[in-house]
Amino acid sequence: MSSQTDLKATTTTGQITENDDINLGILLELGSIGAGHAATSLSDVLQEPISIEVPKIHNVKPYLIPQFYNLHDIKTTAILLQLNDKYGCDILLTFEYTEARKIAAMMNMVSSIDELDQTMETSALQELANILIGSFLTSISDFAGVGLMPTTPQTVTDTFDAIIDNFLIKQSMVSDNALIFETRFKRNGEDAKSILMLFPTQELKDLLVEKSKAMAQV
Amino acid sequence: MLYLGVSRNFSGACTPLPKRVGAYQQLEPQIVIDTNTNTHPRLEEVRVDMAGMKVDSRPVELLTNVGSCVGICLYDSAHKCGGLAHIMLPHSSLGPLEPLPSKYADTAIPALAAGIRGMTGVEAKLSAKIAGGANMFANTTANGLDIGQKNIKAVRETLALHKIKLVAEDVGGSHGRRISFNLTSGVITIRLHNGETRIL
Repeated sequence: MSSQTDLKATTTTGQITENDDINLGILLELGSIGAGHAATSLSDVLQEPISIEVPKIHNVKPYLIPQFYNLHDIKTTAILLQLNDKYGCDILLTFEYTEARKIAAMMNMVSSIDELDQTMETSALQELANILIGSFLTSISDFAGVGLMPTTPQTVTDTFDAIIDNFLIKQSMVSDNALIFETRFKRNGEDAKSILMLFPTQELKDLLVEKSKAMAQV
Repeated sequence: MLYLGVSRNFSGACTPLPKRVGAYQQLEPQIVIDTNTNTHPRLEEVRVDMAGMKVDSRPVELLTNVGSCVGICLYDSAHKCGGLAHIMLPHSSLGPLEPLPSKYADTAIPALAAGIRGMTGVEAKLSAKIAGGANMFANTTANGLDIGQKNIKAVRETLALHKIKLVAEDVGGSHGRRISFNLTSGVITIRLHNGETRIL
């Protein structure tokens, strides 16, 4: 017996899609600017060409996300930043575990991941999150006209499903559908096995919708 | 697997022991630990997705990954029939927007029990084992949402309400769990990302 429903998701990939509630095109544009800034910042730190894939917005039932990514048992390192003020948001940056260690090694200027200790690795990844997510928040903040201050980053390593379920639970308590902004980074032209996910609260979603509608009328 | 007195290589071939040369000679027991724990044919794995549940009476392993969610395994040992529900929230009142019984502790447990009894056709006694309810990010409790603990509490209460005995649990902490529920034996194997294994 199974109570599973079919996996259905609305994914918008770099194209303007309107619906009744939200102008995804403007949000995508906003995300592209943020991701572009983030890639430039990361490229400066790593001294390597970093590019981003065209961002996507998924409008999907929260509990279907693990099937959507199909990374169930993949060992993953995630960095979490949260906005805890009026406009809340969980911001999760995930890397495939080995990729996270490679990037941490590069940031510490050591030649091999074997030379990394846990403190060096955690510190480098938190700095990475500050750089990447800071760029995103600046774009959102400029657009929405509000100050957005994130919490100190937290790092965790576990399987992909175990890491994201806490956020999906939070999303499922407030809405049947989660609006998840996703972008992937490429390092030296290869997939960096990284996903940046934003889980905005209803207040932040409402604000972005309001601003995007106002911008569409201009 | 542990072998005493016989040296066995990983291909399974045995090496004869040296002959005893004196009545009082004690042979040192030769211990070979076979690191391959999959000595039995692997069972088919059936994945149970988030907010989903599955009931089966075939010799399969029901499989799911949980962090703050809780995996609830109910088992009818007489008929070797069991089910696994992957719940996200403690009470259906917290997310009334869509009817999905396997999403909530208070609705998943009766649905799972009904599924097993429907499959076996008898009102057999069920036992329960649960795992999960972690808090993956230590500081996220600051906003009052330690959903892992709330899930654990709701699961225990609902099991008690339906008179289903909770025989084993591996809950809490700050790590995810991969749950494999063997329907042939009723044994649950929990694997952590660091390779640690726990048997329930």
